[in-house]
Amino acid sequence: MPTLEASPVMDFQSETYKDAYSRINAIVIEGEFEANDNYKSLAEHLMSDHKDELIKLAKMENRHMKGFQACGKNLSVTPDMPFAKDFFSQLHGNFQTALAEGNVVTCLLIQSLIIETFAIAAYNIYIPVADDFARKITEGVVKDEYLHLNFGEEWLKANFETAKAELEEANRANLPLVWKMLNEVEKDAAVLGMEKDALVEDFMITYGEALANIGFTSREVMKLSAQGLASA
Amino acid sequence: MFGLIGHLTSLEHAQSVASDLGYPEYADQDLDFWCSAPPQIVDHFKVVSATGQTIEGKYVESCFLPEMLANRRIKAATRKILNAMAHAQKSGINITALGGFSSIIFENFKLDQIKRVRNLDLDFKKFTTGNTHTAYVICKQVEEAAPKHGIDLADATVAVCGATGDIGSAVCRWLSERTKVRDLLLVARNQERLNNLQAELKFGRVLPMDQALPQADVVVWVASLPKGLDVDATMLKQPCLMVDGGYPKNIDTTFARPGIHVLKGGIVEHSLDIDWHIMNIVNMDVPGRQLFACFAESMLLEFEKLHTNFSWGRNQITIEKMDLIGEASVRHGFRPLLT
Repeated sequence: MPTLEASPVMDFQSETYKDAYSRINAIVIEGEFEANDNYKSLAEHLMSDHKDELIKLAKMENRHMKGFQACGKNLSVTPDMPFAKDFFSQLHGNFQTALAEGNVVTCLLIQSLIIETFAIAAYNIYIPVADDFARKITEGVVKDEYLHLNFGEEWLKANFETAKAELEEANRANLPLVWKMLNEVEKDAAVLGMEKDALVEDFMITYGEALANIGFTSREVMKLSAQGLASA
Repeated sequence: MFGLIGHLTSLEHAQSVASDLGYPEYADQDLDFWCSAPPQIVDHFKVVSATGQTIEGKYVESCFLPEMLANRRIKAATRKILNAMAHAQKSGINITALGGFSSIIFENFKLDQIKRVRNLDLDFKKFTTGNTHTAYVICKQVEEAAPKHGIDLADATVAVCGATGDIGSAVCRWLSERTKVRDLLLVARNQERLNNLQAELKFGRVLPMDQALPQADVVVWVASLPKGLDVDATMLKQPCLMVDGGYPKNIDTTFARPGIHVLKGGIVEHSLDIDWHIMNIVNMDVPGRQLFACFAESMLLEFEKLHTNFSWGRNQITIEKMDLIGEASVRHGFRPLLT
């Protein structure tokens, strides 16, 4: 039986690490910023009956963003925000389109399921390899993100019958973007000690659990959560 | 509700099963894909006891593949097991058996140190290696199959290959205390553990494999055959009973010759059909009735409402626990495979 290799010791101050961190940190900051924005938009335009709850979620995302900005500062890294804006541009665009068309199901799939799950997976895999400062912050954040995922899950579960077809369509249009995004950051994530197969697996597990909670069968979950992965 | 955590035997096997089950997204994928694949519940079924009691079970496919170990994807391999355990626990299963390589990986990589899996604390009391029942069944196979092949245990030498492992040491304890075997040969790689085992048993001799095999009337394999070991089958006694309790089962091809009787070790037959699909996939001869004894242990624990990690940790299997699970096994209609 082969032995488990010890995790490599990270040099958080090396130029290679900081260079990769400038993009990963920016993605996280941008992700939290957009999440804040998305929840506020939903509260204002599409889900006014859940306004208080959504505003609360938005405020949490804002707090997370500040936490991650502090993580970058702690390592004296300037986040590459233009890279991060570009990284999220397609998902962001799809959310804005759905918002404009009043497609609340698609909005929730993009923000509450895909983006939250993407964040949860990334934070779960990052925590064991993070520097001490970032680890504490990320551990706090990931707990909140499960609550956000739960918000979308509960609403979609309650509206499953009418939402099902739109969820499948939105999944088809948006999940392949996630695999593309993961490929884009594969090398930088590896420098931080985060392996792509672990990220994909964590994403598929959490996303699959959410879909199952909403009401999809095991077979549907297997198909939906792997959509587009083979050709990514 | 009981659970079984299992896996497929190779990448090729996984691809064909995914295709057969109608998952084109999973078929034709390479090892990288399987390293990322999440655990899945792929079967949900009922088991009826000989007493008439009915229980329900779920089969969790961990998506672990032996190639992950061969290709040093160790982290992926360990994640598969922990994730499958978390999935079982989240699905509300009371007791789950770690089948195939799952318990070996758990033990070898000391996964008991990792209790937290994402947002879940694993409760190890909900899991069992199933090794107590496996050891019991292997012992019964030795006791019941040997006479069928003209071997009188009171006059027989039994070699246990892999004697210091969890199952191997339990088999040695049982054979020493509960049978009249004339001689017991203890074979394993770690000399210190062998000496400790012999001291505990106060019986048996420590021998290297090449010296033990020619002396044995019965060989119990609870370790797979070491790679590169060239065994001259003509040196073996005739008749010789070989109980292949290793995983995967690979002894029969090595020792295929007249007078050598190879029995699939650690397999039980249920007296009633089980309406499941999984044992078709793992190529059991009678898929509706035959299963790994470790899986049957989780069924027995559910039948008996013994929701605890009955088999756990290394070398903790006592004769008393083997008696207890053995009685339950008989009561609920399981029999050791004898042909």
